[in-house]
Amino acid sequence: MHIAVLMKSVPDLVEDIALDEHEGQILFDEMSYVPSEWDDQALEEALVIKEESGAEVTAVSIETQDSDNLLFTALAKGSDNAVKLVGDFDLSLTNRQRAQIFADYLHKQPFDLILSGVQAIDDVDGQIPGLVAGIMGWPHASVVTEVRVKDQGIILRQEYAGGLVAEIESSTPVVVGIQAARKPPRYASIAKVRQVAKSRQIEEVEVPLSNVPALTVRRFYKPVASAHAEMVDGDVEDVAARIAEILQERNLLRR
Amino acid sequence: MGPILIVMENGASGFVDSSKELITKGREIAKNLEISSIAVGFGQDAESQLKNLPVDRVIAITNPELSQYHPLAYEKTLSEIVKKEEPYLTLVANTTMGMDLGAGVASSVSLPLIAYCNQVAIAGQEVVATSSVFAGKLMAEIVVPKSGAVLTVMPGAWSATEDSGSPQVDVLSVDIPPSMRILRTIEPEKSDVDITKADILISVGRGIEGPENLTLAEELAEAIGGVVSCSRPVVDAGWLPKSRQVGKSGQTVKPKLYMAFGISGAPEHQQGMKDADLIIAVNTDENASIMDIAHFGTTVDMLELMPALTERLRGE
Amino acid sequence: MIGQDILMVLTILMFLSATGYFVYRMLPIFRVMQKARSTNRLDNWPRRLSFMLGQVFGHKRLLRLRLSGILHFFIFSGFVVLMIDVITAIVQVFDPHITLDAPLAFVVDLWAVLVLIGILLAVYQRAVIKPERYHGSDERDGYIILAMIATIMIGIFLHESFYPFAAPYLFHVHPSLNPWGFVGYLLGHLWLSTHLASNPVVAESGYILGYLLDIGMVFAFLAYLPTSKHLHIFLAVPSIFLHKTRPHGELVPPLPEDEGMAIRTFTDVNWKDVLDLFTCTECGRCQAVCPAYAAGQPLSPKMVILELRDALRKELNGEDSVPLAGGVVKAEELWACTTCGACQEACPVFIEHVPKIAGLRAALLEDGEVDKNSQKVLVGWDRQGNSFGQPPRKRPAWTKALEAPIKDARKEAVDWLWFVGDFASYDPRLQELSRLVAQILQQAGIDFGILYEGEANAGNEALRLGEFGLFETLAQKNLKWLESAQYNQIFTTDPHSFNALRNEYRKFGFEKPVKHYTQAFLDLIEQGRLSPAPLRIRVTYHDPCYLGRWNRVLDAPRQLLERMGVELIEMPRHGANSFCCGAGGGRIWMEEVGIKERPADNRIREALSLNDVNYFVVACPKDMSMFSAAVQSTGSENRIKVVDVAELLAQAVGLSVPQSAVAIK
Repeated sequence: MHIAVLMKSVPDLVEDIALDEHEGQILFDEMSYVPSEWDDQALEEALVIKEESGAEVTAVSIETQDSDNLLFTALAKGSDNAVKLVGDFDLSLTNRQRAQIFADYLHKQPFDLILSGVQAIDDVDGQIPGLVAGIMGWPHASVVTEVRVKDQGIILRQEYAGGLVAEIESSTPVVVGIQAARKPPRYASIAKVRQVAKSRQIEEVEVPLSNVPALTVRRFYKPVASAHAEMVDGDVEDVAARIAEILQERNLLRR
Repeated sequence: MGPILIVMENGASGFVDSSKELITKGREIAKNLEISSIAVGFGQDAESQLKNLPVDRVIAITNPELSQYHPLAYEKTLSEIVKKEEPYLTLVANTTMGMDLGAGVASSVSLPLIAYCNQVAIAGQEVVATSSVFAGKLMAEIVVPKSGAVLTVMPGAWSATEDSGSPQVDVLSVDIPPSMRILRTIEPEKSDVDITKADILISVGRGIEGPENLTLAEELAEAIGGVVSCSRPVVDAGWLPKSRQVGKSGQTVKPKLYMAFGISGAPEHQQGMKDADLIIAVNTDENASIMDIAHFGTTVDMLELMPALTERLRGE
Repeated sequence: MIGQDILMVLTILMFLSATGYFVYRMLPIFRVMQKARSTNRLDNWPRRLSFMLGQVFGHKRLLRLRLSGILHFFIFSGFVVLMIDVITAIVQVFDPHITLDAPLAFVVDLWAVLVLIGILLAVYQRAVIKPERYHGSDERDGYIILAMIATIMIGIFLHESFYPFAAPYLFHVHPSLNPWGFVGYLLGHLWLSTHLASNPVVAESGYILGYLLDIGMVFAFLAYLPTSKHLHIFLAVPSIFLHKTRPHGELVPPLPEDEGMAIRTFTDVNWKDVLDLFTCTECGRCQAVCPAYAAGQPLSPKMVILELRDALRKELNGEDSVPLAGGVVKAEELWACTTCGACQEACPVFIEHVPKIAGLRAALLEDGEVDKNSQKVLVGWDRQGNSFGQPPRKRPAWTKALEAPIKDARKEAVDWLWFVGDFASYDPRLQELSRLVAQILQQAGIDFGILYEGEANAGNEALRLGEFGLFETLAQKNLKWLESAQYNQIFTTDPHSFNALRNEYRKFGFEKPVKHYTQAFLDLIEQGRLSPAPLRIRVTYHDPCYLGRWNRVLDAPRQLLERMGVELIEMPRHGANSFCCGAGGGRIWMEEVGIKERPADNRIREALSLNDVNYFVVACPKDMSMFSAAVQSTGSENRIKVVDVAELLAQAVGLSVPQSAVAIK
């Protein structure tokens, strides 16, 4: 089983999003980036599969400022290979473009299973796994919480509203959008990442930037909350007193 | 301009609410743009369920196996329909099915996709969709191209009306691709409590820090006569069972009081609780998105507030 | 002559086989030490020597536990004194004319009696008192050793008392009973009165039996030692001599380029670490003071050492090796450590437990195994430089509510550079306290500044979680400003930052003076820049581990309290023997699993046992957080208040302490 994990970085939401409010455009170069948390889950699931039933795991990312760190971290965690797709790219790539770049690479590779995060915070024009599957013409399932290898195919668990789960058998190749891995993503220590950065190579593959259906975002803006919560201030006792009062006013207290 | 195509999702009994919402809104858009509306449904009962919808035409895919969602068969079928009907807008709710079909269909038929839509407005000849992205921190205003687009719409973006109509009914059956097979479905384990029936929910998120602090929430719930629920990370960490989870992949709740402790309020969570009558949010970040839908908020330490409140409520 | 010849040959054979076997068993251990990492333990030898003598002959640490200390002193001094007997007894076989003269014979007999008393006390302690600290130790080994020593004593008396009667036949000399060797003298008269002495066969057998029980057992003892905890007889003295003399609070010495801190095999530790394993006496004093052990967690510092030692023994026996981190020492043991250092403080042979635990943690971490809450904190430090998951630009947010702004030490020269730390910067409850400290400094007219968003977590806990790389990253972030800013000294309210800046940043060549606020405030009072009015309250004071034990700042806080007119009632465990709050070493972020009694609760109960003490004074932001919670969870809000020493000082110098300040509620 040869698994590709498609990964990307997204703006770190701990900081405010850099936005040119006048133009309504995101200032991609002015933000710091972190690995998309769902992609981390996808990588973890791939590594769990590898440990469980043997597999070769290749982490794939598109070259942007943070991609080296992302890929070295994947290697440090136990990924067998790391591939960086290079070309005339910048941070403002749309997901559709990313999906096309991934697909152009995947076409020429013998992968059986493609995992990626079910979503990311910046998926305005669609989620990577579904888009990649559509371009490749491969079957695909998203919101998956478990993937196991069985004979030549895989068995996955897809989750629906209300906690209902379907167990689905699929032949390969198949693309899976991971919601959560079977266990929390492992830690990659900085020493290990540094050591990997010294001793291992990231394979670079050049990929052209093709034309894809594009969306024009007329503007991005910060939502004007229709209403922000009325804040209750003071120390813990004050707050507890005020909340008790609110509950009382609304007859929510048992008598 | 092509029609508007609405994809219906089967629930435990009939179509799910989010699909019904799409019908109401889709019909309104169709009327305004003077285009026709088509609804597509799957499964044994598709025909009987679709035939009274207030749209111009319905397409019923009546293979009995497709009563249950099948990622590959649905996507292949829908792609074929989109290729044939060339709709201007294809609407599907942003559920698991919608996440599969939206991206899959859009890219296989080379249409753009607008994800996480929670508004569609018609301004003159333009249709403008608004999506909530970056965990609710930004809105994106997108003009739907003339060549059409697929939209995945956040459940609850609109309210559904119970209108009916008498559309033209097309019935067909499709080949189910053998490369994907549904083996079984697993019901969520039945728990001691049904959080959807509780009037008061004490809901905890990442801020609970560890399972040892759950007793604080349980004591508060007991003091106030409520039940403990949680957001996804708490279930993923194994601290509470899945049956207690509120949100997109958990339960949708509508209690009289929802107290969110240490929950930031990702859209997936809000989807499951935003209709609560009274929402009180406790979060160290005053700007967390939960504060946008909460009625009251506070930034004090939840681990201190819970016992303080418990004590106060016991004393009352 | 035949009897003497046999004894001579026997003695030589016993000597050769025992020492040969001893060397044979010890060599592999020394080979492991040779392959281990280097560490310089021979610097400043006169100081090492005097330190060693104080510990060895003064029993300084051992006597902290009265009974154990005394009985050990009896047995230990017996070993020293009875070397006289061993040498004489052996020499006597070769040259029968040599006998012990008056005082020495008396000394030997006296000490042999003391040793026997010591053994009786030891048996009493093991069998009747059964201290909890022995739990997990090899009790059988303990009894075997005691029996061997008792046998030697009996042998001494036997051969001493039969010597005058056997010597004429065996050695052709005619010594008489020496009254100075009083036990032998009394026994000799017993043999005379029972006519045993007059029977040559009995006399000769009695002497030879005594000789074998004494000297034979000494050699047997020697052969037994390498597989026993009693190897400390040989290793304790050198181990104490080789004790760590680098700054006590420095966890990791400067590492060569190609070495990390992770311990995976016995080549990843230094040779002194290997020596530590075989020096351990299994006395369990470390276990008795360990807060994790007391809380019912699966950690005992003693067991960590013993598990490593046994693993190394198995490896030397050719058994397949088990991974040290997570296998030999379980992950739950390693993560339970608060790195408080109480174990090292208690160890009579100066074993260093904490660096081993941290090194094993580092190996787990490299394999991606870490408590998930701590993982979040580690990622937060890496991305944002703080443990609160907050943006760096919010670090100085607490200063906004101050009337007078604080200087930006990155932009202008200051006298004092205040290193604030994560908790005091971000924790909303502690920000109020930080503002009080600022006001105190302003009142004293100190020219001070902070690094604003240029400050990052100092890395003390990252290092103790085993994340050396992250510690380095954080240190470099701070050093960028610490090295370019202009200031005379660093001031910090946080003992953890204090420790990192003072001890751990040396490896990057950073050597600016660092003062804890208790020291700095005391300076200000002594210089007359602050004049506190007496508060007239009774308090107890909790020594933070990273201030007291690791950095020996014990007097400054106490003097400061005295200057404020505060009466200090000490808790039983205070000073360097303070009891950890349970937050250190990253524990503050970890899941609490299987804790019977939280260390902080235990500590608050200790304070409550004092009479009429209403204030629990702390000098560490983490303590404020831990003990405030403990006061609540023990339901003692009405009996004791946790206050920071800065709050007391603020009150004493007439500043208005806000109602919302942490402890004044």
